Amino acid sequence: MNNNKQICIEEGTQTAHRISLHEQKVGFQARPDVSVLVSMERAGQHLIAVGCRGGGCGQCRIRILQGDYFSKRMSRAWISSEQESEGTVLACRVFARSDLLIEPDPPEVGSRCQAAAQHDQ
Amino acid sequence: MKKGVMRPGHVQIRVLDMDEALKHYVDLLGLIEMDRDDEGRVYLKAWTEVDKFSVVLREADQAGMDFMGFKCLDEGTLDRLHEDLVAFGCAVDVIAAGELKDCGRRLRFRAPSGHDFELFATKQQTGKWGVDNRNPEAWPRGLQGIKATRFDHCLLYGTDLDRTLELFRDVLGFDLAEQVVTPDGTRVAQFLTASMKAHDVAFIDHPEPGKFHHASFFLETWEDVLRAADLISMTDTSIDIGPTRHGLTHGKTIYFFDPSGNRTEVFCGGDYHYPDHEPVTWDADKLGKAIFYHDRQLNERFLTVLT
Ligand code: FES
Ligand SMILES: [Fe+2]
Repeated sequence: MNNNKQICIEEGTQTAHRISLHEQKVGFQARPDVSVLVSMERAGQHLIAVGCRGGGCGQCRIRILQGDYFSKRMSRAWISSEQESEGTVLACRVFARSDLLIEPDPPEVGSRCQAAAQHDQ
Repeated sequence: MKKGVMRPGHVQIRVLDMDEALKHYVDLLGLIEMDRDDEGRVYLKAWTEVDKFSVVLREADQAGMDFMGFKCLDEGTLDRLHEDLVAFGCAVDVIAAGELKDCGRRLRFRAPSGHDFELFATKQQTGKWGVDNRNPEAWPRGLQGIKATRFDHCLLYGTDLDRTLELFRDVLGFDLAEQVVTPDGTRVAQFLTASMKAHDVAFIDHPEPGKFHHASFFLETWEDVLRAADLISMTDTSIDIGPTRHGLTHGKTIYFFDPSGNRTEVFCGGDYHYPDHEPVTWDADKLGKAIFYHDRQLNERFLTVLT
């Protein structure tokens, strides 16, 4: 008997949220258990730069203008605690908890946020 | 000329979440957990390595590399290199034996590239994992995932390649095995070796000092690299590029990311270098082919995604 199908039962049972880009008519759906960045990739869109997908490189930085989300730890090299509290986040580390309105905020190559100037070591 | 630096001995990598990191480095890459310390650092090794550990993970609030360490022949060599580093103009910190568990004293210095390096001569030798040193079998059973065989090299992005080359060549005895130069003769990439390997450490020119591109682990065959690619897909691990071949060093490779965004490479094959060999040179306008031999096109991510 083949019961491999059970593995997939979870898929699709969670409601997806709509991620919209500020002042643009584009967006994509994001499930609460898939990061905003990977949801965008799976939707075949190129609205946010894709880097490491692990919260380390800063490429996917966005501002969340509206909506609720959950975020995992993000490198302080790119997001200071003030920025984090104001909704500047790394899209690869945030998970939608409602529809979101976002705006890309990619860092300049080679530049880092203020807080990162003090190396943590 | 050789100065008694033998090989890459360890790399300490910062991770945002230790449990997630261990799934990557142990379950997927196949390193073996050897120890932990009071600071919460986790010590890992690949199975063919004789020394106790080669990768140290430290949980921190930003990703990247703390330092890379090279093992030297003996303690006397360390004393000589200490003087030579100071004469070169490096500030050297002596880190007491035991700061890393079962590792002797380490000399820590910052290269002009902005990266911290260490020299050490003593580390507990636990032997290859799972095989005896007398009448050894071919490989141990019970390895996980990609079954990485050894920590091989790091690629680092940073400033002042010329002065960094002087430090590694003139003070530490590395050879320039391979380089990328622009039409005006500026070196924008340098692959350095203290051994016969194509590289033990490599640098790419970058405006910001001290950035980490990848830590690399050796596999025996192309089949092993393809199997790694399968495992990377099966686990939905963040992929960078590959499987493909590099022009530089001609290694066959795949790049992927740990859950904190640090890049990992596994590769097989590649060129070798002897001290009497001229450096191999790539022209900067062939950089696409030099980095990705099959695509012949550089992806933006290779140059900008760093920790
Ligand atoms: S893609 Fe690297 S931090 Fe999000
Ligand atoms: Fe490499």
